[in-house]
Amino acid sequence: MKFDAEAFIREQVELIRNTVPGRAISACSGGVDSTTAAVLAGRALGDRLLAVYVDTGLMRKDETEDVERTLQALGVNHRILRAADEYFAALRGVSDPEKKRMIIGRKFIELFEREAKAFGAEHLVQGTIAPDWIESGGQLRDRIKTHHNVAGLPADMKLKLVEPLRDLYKDEVRAVARTLGVRVAERQPFPGPALAVRVIGEVTPERVALVREASAIVEDEIQAAASRGLMPLPWQYFAVLVPVQTVGVHGDLRVYGHTVAVRAVESIDGMSATYSKIPHDVLDRISTRITNEVQGVNRVVYDISNKPPATIEWE
Amino acid sequence: MRVFVVDNGGQWTHREWRVLKYLGVETKIVPNDTPVGGLQDLDGLVLSGGAPRVGVDPSKMGRNGEYLDAFGGPILGICAGHQFMAKHFGGEAAPAKVPEFGKSLLNVREPDVLFEGLPDRFEVWESHNDEVTVLPPGFVGLASSPNCSVQAMRHRSEPIFGLQFHPEVEHTQFGGEIFRNFLKVCENPR
Repeated sequence: MKFDAEAFIREQVELIRNTVPGRAISACSGGVDSTTAAVLAGRALGDRLLAVYVDTGLMRKDETEDVERTLQALGVNHRILRAADEYFAALRGVSDPEKKRMIIGRKFIELFEREAKAFGAEHLVQGTIAPDWIESGGQLRDRIKTHHNVAGLPADMKLKLVEPLRDLYKDEVRAVARTLGVRVAERQPFPGPALAVRVIGEVTPERVALVREASAIVEDEIQAAASRGLMPLPWQYFAVLVPVQTVGVHGDLRVYGHTVAVRAVESIDGMSATYSKIPHDVLDRISTRITNEVQGVNRVVYDISNKPPATIEWE
Repeated sequence: MRVFVVDNGGQWTHREWRVLKYLGVETKIVPNDTPVGGLQDLDGLVLSGGAPRVGVDPSKMGRNGEYLDAFGGPILGICAGHQFMAKHFGGEAAPAKVPEFGKSLLNVREPDVLFEGLPDRFEVWESHNDEVTVLPPGFVGLASSPNCSVQAMRHRSEPIFGLQFHPEVEHTQFGGEIFRNFLKVCENPR
């Protein structure tokens, strides 16, 4: 038996209609999960739904503009919040990965509660999928990491949650997204706390800018190599800024610069993964471009860990 | 057919549920303190893996012991479920000399219905700190890996099976086939 996306959509639209008598807002990052959840809720609620996207300042290159286009194309009632300063202020001096995730989760809810109040909504639609609550742990299950949309929610939150994708994994969400005609169906996964968990150590605008540029190069080169048939497109591929400085030589001068790790993995559901066997020529191009184009980086390493024992993201 | 999954707090408990669902089985995840009376009219039971350290402190395994004694139908224990099974029936589980995480190679030593139609060696996915160190009386070891001698075991006459590796994980080869073989046992337990 295969996953039946059409039946799933029918059931969930009906369920959302029955659960939400009034208005709802939907937390929408522009990724596959939250966009799919927003479209499902939009089908059920029409203009009683408002999709809210937050520009946290931690997003990838050109992401906010891109998400805005996606939401417009889907015809979902939406609102874009710009809150980069608030996020960087809240994250100042914090380098513990779990603290980062909690701070970001709380901030999201603070903003969503504000928006919900203004819109007159009692429900919050989230694109929570199975790995989010599994890895967030609880009772017997150990917490691997705090997913902001599950374990990062404050205990006194007033909004009632609607999570139509809770029992699905990414491959199943993609099937739903394709059936719904969501254009981001094939987009690679991207964590809710965004680039904050790809800057190991303190999150500052400068360090985020650095990993953003490096990530754009990784995406660019890997997509180009895949489209030329040199390699399959990995499940996920990105850069991580590692808090290690090392020595380099630039134009006969000593430099003491940053290290970027490249991560690319193969997976179906995010619950187990192998590192991608990227051709060395492609890694070479990525390395040369990052060390030439991203100022301050003089070393690039490739992460060859599987999940388990590692996780896909570094934090 | 109805086969439930007992949740021992595993990262892959929900994967077991998904694999069973995809195989067309009516399935549900139940907490490991569910009274065995609440698990009647089932054709089989899967005891999931989980964070509890069976080799150190098996107290968090809830009513798994009752299920093993009184469920009556086929049981498949995975990881912590498998280790607990060994301990419960008089064998031993202890911290592994070499814990295994991620990719490993399974070596099937004894032919069994669980591995029917599969090659003798294939890739499996692991995630364990403890392992079965002594087989319980009445059980036979079926498979090993380079760092773990009891990767699979079964009772000689009862349809009770234990696996140290994780057949529910996408990266394990033939995982779906192993579940399908277990379901054949559930269909026809004797």
